[in-house]
Amino acid sequence: MATIPQKKIATGFLDRLTDETWRYKFTRNVLIPWLFILPLLSIHVFVVAIPAVQGIYMSLTDWSGVGRNVEFIGLANYQELLFEDETFGKSLTNNFIWMAFFLTVPFILALFCATLLSQIKRGGMAYRSMLFIPYVLASVVTTAIWRNLLSPRKGIGAAMANLTGIEGFDIAYLGRSETALLSIAFIDNWHFWGFLMILFLAAMQAIPPVLYDAAKIDGANRWQEFRHVTLPGIRPIFLFMFMMVAIWSFLAFDYIWLLTQGGPGGSSEVIATQLYKNAFLRFEGGYGAAQGVVISIFAGFIIMIFVTLRRRGWDI
Amino acid sequence: MKRLKICFGMLVLLLALSSVGAQDVTTVSMWFGESEYAQCITEVVNGFNDVNPALQIEIIPQADTWNTTRTAVAGGGGPDVVRSPGPSFVYEMAQQGLILPLDSFADEMGWRDTFVGWALDLGLVDGQLYSLADELETLVMYYNKTLFEANGWTPPDTMDELIALAEEMEAAGIVPFSHGNADWRPTNEWFVGEFMTQIAGPHNVYKALTGQIPWTDESMVEAMETLDMMQQRGWFGGGLDLYFTNTFDTNLSMLGNGEAAMNIEGTWRFNGIPDYFGEAGGNDNDWDWAPVPSKTGDDLFTIGMGNTSSINANTPHPQETATFLTWFFSAETQGAMLSNCGKGPAPIHLPEDAMVGLDSRVSRAYAALSEASADDRYGYTTWTFWPPKSDVYIYEEVERVWTGEITVMDYLEGLNELFAEELAAGDIPPIPSR
Repeated sequence: MATIPQKKIATGFLDRLTDETWRYKFTRNVLIPWLFILPLLSIHVFVVAIPAVQGIYMSLTDWSGVGRNVEFIGLANYQELLFEDETFGKSLTNNFIWMAFFLTVPFILALFCATLLSQIKRGGMAYRSMLFIPYVLASVVTTAIWRNLLSPRKGIGAAMANLTGIEGFDIAYLGRSETALLSIAFIDNWHFWGFLMILFLAAMQAIPPVLYDAAKIDGANRWQEFRHVTLPGIRPIFLFMFMMVAIWSFLAFDYIWLLTQGGPGGSSEVIATQLYKNAFLRFEGGYGAAQGVVISIFAGFIIMIFVTLRRRGWDI
Repeated sequence: MKRLKICFGMLVLLLALSSVGAQDVTTVSMWFGESEYAQCITEVVNGFNDVNPALQIEIIPQADTWNTTRTAVAGGGGPDVVRSPGPSFVYEMAQQGLILPLDSFADEMGWRDTFVGWALDLGLVDGQLYSLADELETLVMYYNKTLFEANGWTPPDTMDELIALAEEMEAAGIVPFSHGNADWRPTNEWFVGEFMTQIAGPHNVYKALTGQIPWTDESMVEAMETLDMMQQRGWFGGGLDLYFTNTFDTNLSMLGNGEAAMNIEGTWRFNGIPDYFGEAGGNDNDWDWAPVPSKTGDDLFTIGMGNTSSINANTPHPQETATFLTWFFSAETQGAMLSNCGKGPAPIHLPEDAMVGLDSRVSRAYAALSEASADDRYGYTTWTFWPPKSDVYIYEEVERVWTGEITVMDYLEGLNELFAEELAAGDIPPIPSR
């Protein structure tokens, strides 16, 4: 007949508390880490979690954005947003154009320049600094510089037209419906891509040189080295930034607001500029909150894709 | 020991006295935009502080005054004097109980005599007074006087004369109007409101604002089609794409150097326009202004308010705040701020001697506006008299008319639909009856 082992098992919390070893491990591994993180967690709860929940609730209300008169209207804001608001689809399309631009142009530029800079042994820091400087400029400064540079009256185009006598350079890129959005994306990218390049460069410099030596011994050319050593080496940071840029694309606001405020004729309107107008100019705070929730849903969807890929074994 | 006791006693007495003194001083706060004249206004207000030691006014400059104010007031804080950009913003705050009704103060402190007839009506919400209008403004047509004289032109009186003159200017290679909205997209609404008043007429605009006629009325269609025609011909800034990229600096430079001849803009521009003419502007030109030509030839002036002042519902000092507002809106103070700072005056009875030292062109403009408001020749600026959603629609969607995406009729039908919703909801700012 089998017998139950007589080993004493601490089952309850109080029993455990009497166990000195357990108490020591609990304090060291659980209690102290939580105490350390508690101040930050409290701040996060108060400035992120609670406002986020409030935002979701406000999206279900008719609220002007001022005061406390709030009327619960269920999903009416979402119904209007998705099925009645003609401008929402256009803004969403512009967000996708923005995302397509930022997932290609700055990545190609950053990869190309980081690869070149990683080969430079002397004076590399000067190049890096020069290319990184636009990133530390405030968006107000960057937009002021580029508004002047792109001005058809006193910008680069006007100067070239005056110099060569050839008409057609002095185009009002920010004043035309067909070019406004991409011009703003170009300006934002001018500021952004240096940051991406620095990240890629740092990741490239962390790749063990022995891998390149081995590739050379195997007869790999530059392209093969890049494809089979460099790209796999920077893949975690590359994919992380890919995810972040995709999320940031739905938050695009400052450059568009400063340069065109969504114009001309709504051609550069994105969800965030629409949200601002609804919440702060049209006194439709509840409707603006619904747009904010939609932006969050898109961001959550992108994160979900990456989490799924990670679970399937991708090195992200 | 005795000496020590005396010293201690004196110290206690001194502290007690100083605390009594501190308690006697009431501080009233007012947030002001970081504009070019904010410092000047602080200096004017310091004059009040000097003679009223028991009531001190603290002017706090804010970069984005309205958004800062609305957030603070909604959270139960904010300044004692709540300033907003216009009556429609006051409406929202009053509905939420964030500002105090001012009727008792108006009676007690004589505000009904201080302000011109229609002005206090602008601050009414559901029949109660909640705000005092400030920074009276209108749109005028600035022009390059030297250029006009050199070409033998005179400011036109009627819209037909204006169109004929613009054609003449176009033929001479001069841009008729130095307009652009790159710095401030709502610039569009200046022209929409102005053309509605000047072409459809202020009485029709009044009827539309009170729901008696639709915005699709043929007089409105004519106004909007005239405006669209001018944009399509490139008269505003040299072309539609240039209009969208011209900054205020570009506009005024063009006007100053004679590249453009006219500019329809607000009276707030009196403050900066001299910088673009004569020695300051690096040219030999001079400027002047004329009323914006109307269809009938009457001198019509649209009336607008740049700001309103209310009393915060959470202020511990409503009476003192009202006392300060009485001083702030007095003819003497408003005259000083107009003459010294270039701030547009509140719509009060402003005697001519209150504008001493002012450029004659500026005083002439305010005198003309005052006369027009008394003679029923006043119209309406969109940012003061239209409800918020319709107002945003006016300046956002008109660009789609200009870029050819929608027709004038589509635009006015959209406005009509939105306006009807806001009218039914009671969201229309108070419209002084005429």
